[in-house]
Amino acid sequence: MATTSPAITTNDLRKSFPARKGPVEAVRGVSVDVSSGEIFGLLGPNGAGKTTTLRMLTTLLPIDAGSARVAGFDVVQDPHKVRERIGYVSQLGGADELATGRENLVLQGRLYGATLADIRPRVDEVAATLDLSEFADRRVKTYSGGQRRRLDVALGIVHQPTVLFLDEPTTGLDPQNRANLWDHLRALRDRGTTVVLTTHYLEEADVLCDRIVIVDHGRVVAKGTPRELKRRVAGDAVVITVKDGTMAGEHSRSVLGRQPYVREITAEGDQLRLYVEDGSAALPQLLRLLDQEQIAIRSMSLSEPTLDDVFLRQTGRSLRDGGPGDDPGDGPDNVTGDSTKGAKEAVA
Amino acid sequence: MKTARDTTLLFHRYTVQMLRNPVWLFVGFSTPLLYLVLFTPLLKHFSSAQAPTSSVIDLFLPGILALLAFASGMAGGFSTIFELQSGVIERFRVTPSSRLAILMGPLLSGMLMMFVFDAVVVAAAAGFGFTVNWLGLAALVVLLGILMVTMSAFSVATALVTQDISSFAAIVNGLNLPLLLLAGVLLPISLGPTWMQVLAHFNPLYYAVEGARSLSAGAFSNPAVWQAFAVLVPLCIVVVTWATRIFRQAVA
Repeated sequence: MATTSPAITTNDLRKSFPARKGPVEAVRGVSVDVSSGEIFGLLGPNGAGKTTTLRMLTTLLPIDAGSARVAGFDVVQDPHKVRERIGYVSQLGGADELATGRENLVLQGRLYGATLADIRPRVDEVAATLDLSEFADRRVKTYSGGQRRRLDVALGIVHQPTVLFLDEPTTGLDPQNRANLWDHLRALRDRGTTVVLTTHYLEEADVLCDRIVIVDHGRVVAKGTPRELKRRVAGDAVVITVKDGTMAGEHSRSVLGRQPYVREITAEGDQLRLYVEDGSAALPQLLRLLDQEQIAIRSMSLSEPTLDDVFLRQTGRSLRDGGPGDDPGDGPDNVTGDSTKGAKEAVA
Repeated sequence: MKTARDTTLLFHRYTVQMLRNPVWLFVGFSTPLLYLVLFTPLLKHFSSAQAPTSSVIDLFLPGILALLAFASGMAGGFSTIFELQSGVIERFRVTPSSRLAILMGPLLSGMLMMFVFDAVVVAAAAGFGFTVNWLGLAALVVLLGILMVTMSAFSVATALVTQDISSFAAIVNGLNLPLLLLAGVLLPISLGPTWMQVLAHFNPLYYAVEGARSLSAGAFSNPAVWQAFAVLVPLCIVVVTWATRIFRQAVA
């Protein structure tokens, strides 16, 4: 498991890009510490600066200000030494479509300095690890999405890096392939590789990552283990969807906000999100209250706090983007709360 | 040493990729041959008692070879854009491989292909009556190589600056036509009016074409030969330096 020597330390990392209306600050002072042998996630919405951060750490983008050490070397002063020790799987992957999986892996290994004799057995090994052996000699353009992604990961680890960076590794994968890739990444971590990934999927950050930072507008808004972060949002979340035309926002918000057991309340369209100490006790009280006040509701659901609640609390916005695995379980008709989601979180 | 090794690896990769693209190969071989087959008959009108068809081909073929060097160099940026967009270049950049190799691998591979096409065209032209001067052709290889590297570096740098296929294509196509017409690639510019001849002297490709004609005829003492090298060598150095700088910035 995780040892104490840091695989990555960054200090006040900054990057801005020129744009017509003046420079856009993509990363505004990101400081993170990643320990060796952990799966570390950067969670945030699109445009939060996750990819830019990753590109600076992988020597692909010059750093404007601040510093970063990766795998023991300074990214600015020793980019070559950093490159020798890291692997990077970009969103695009970048495998040669006209070449076979094996040819891609052999070339990649040789660009890292391996001889042909050394790289051949290693390629067999990596292909076996990522379940690619069967079609290693087929051209990449014939691969399915999941096979393609596993090849991208194989390309990132063929030279046995100490730190592997992955940018949105499971975007576009179906749930089965996603879970499969997670297993591969866990296996890599268990063999000592530090895995750093960006994601905008809550479940991925929650279930896969040992520690995460939540990034928004180029800043770190929260860091810790998923469990710690969720615990910080004390209590349970009750999500109430009010019926159209009942003056959803203001009236119900002020009524509910006055209740002593409601710790915090946020409104988003016709949806109200309440944080209460004890969800199951609060539900009947809330129902009675809504009835008294003649506020018609479409649904009410109860869930243990998710990372989305953490994000919501820090930024005032929701991270949900409709991607698979992100549904926090507040479907229209489940007044009783989402037990499966809660169970999943308890396991994690 | 490392640069040479990495260049060889990437050279091999690009060459294999090209050979696996049948459409590209077919077009690559057929385009120069089509010029020869569909254009040479038109030249018959220019042949006369003092200039038989064979000598018209002697003038025409070096132009085609220069055109091929120009066009294959200019096309280099298309694959750069494709590889930028598909993440291939980024994947190479994260490896510790030599940056120069990432630039030179595809370039040298394109050059090899160009010389293969050149050889096919020269062999075919010999059948039409082209007079082969071996020494001249050997020197021509050097000139064409320099031209191709210059255009290639220009094209790749333009691709890296625009990063977008439609603006890149617009720039390349916009430049191709005036440069080619003002170089006398197919017919000598001396057939045109004075203003064209004056303008042509500002076009580096003009010197390449004139130099190619003299070299292919083995006329080493013709001033067009040293003029061609005097224009192209410094130009090549300037463009490659610029391209390397762009490459470092965009692809540090």
